Amino acid sequence: MNSKVLFYSCFLLIGIFISAVSQVMLKKAALKKYDSPIKEYLNPLVISAYGLFFFTTVLSILAYKGIPLSMGPILEATSYIYVTIFGVKIFGEKINKQKIIALLFIFAGIFVYSLLG
Amino acid sequence: MKGKIKYFILLHLIILLYSLSAICSKAAGTKPFMSMEFILYYGAVIILLGIYAICWQQIIKKLPLTTAFSNKAVTVVWGILFGIIFFAEKISIGKIVGAILVIVGVVLYSLADKDDSLNSSSLDNDIDNQ
Repeated sequence: MNSKVLFYSCFLLIGIFISAVSQVMLKKAALKKYDSPIKEYLNPLVISAYGLFFFTTVLSILAYKGIPLSMGPILEATSYIYVTIFGVKIFGEKINKQKIIALLFIFAGIFVYSLLG
Repeated sequence: MKGKIKYFILLHLIILLYSLSAICSKAAGTKPFMSMEFILYYGAVIILLGIYAICWQQIIKKLPLTTAFSNKAVTVVWGILFGIIFFAEKISIGKIVGAILVIVGVVLYSLADKDDSLNSSSLDNDIDNQ
């Protein structure tokens, strides 16, 4: 992997992280009770989450300036790492051995694709 | 059973839409910022992701979440194929091995949620549910 690909990969990785954060915000919003259906959508948490999600589309375009199309879905698999961490730390979700093994496969895949591919 | 197959095909159609949005992202990146072509491609990204989100919400009502998420791993295959077709990207053994490892990881992760009622995939779910 050359330095150009590495540089542009960072935009996508940051975008994927932000996207995971926006998912946490949507999950938090979904757990709240609202007076009306409109408020379920038009509240600061949901609007901010969608703002962040929109921003990630800009980051994707920036990233694809320097990375191959095939690398996008590979790097997107990092979302499972954030989902696991946020799930455990913020929502008290459980992690099992199979999930850890799965994450190791994802790590290995990203490593092999990026550095040996 | 017939209904399941219908939703399974629909699932793969929307996963394909998601992969097509990446083509548009990459195409937008090759055009001058805010040029007509850039706006068209970026508009297509937003529209495709919008359709994807709406349809995903419907699909996960009909198919198990684990099925939906494990099948999403196919985006890796589409990424490689579309890269070759539309952007003349080269593929190597290392990339294929890496892609297979990621696909195995994503499928394993999704299946790990199967017996876990408080699964973390529900986090992913919510962005599409809004």
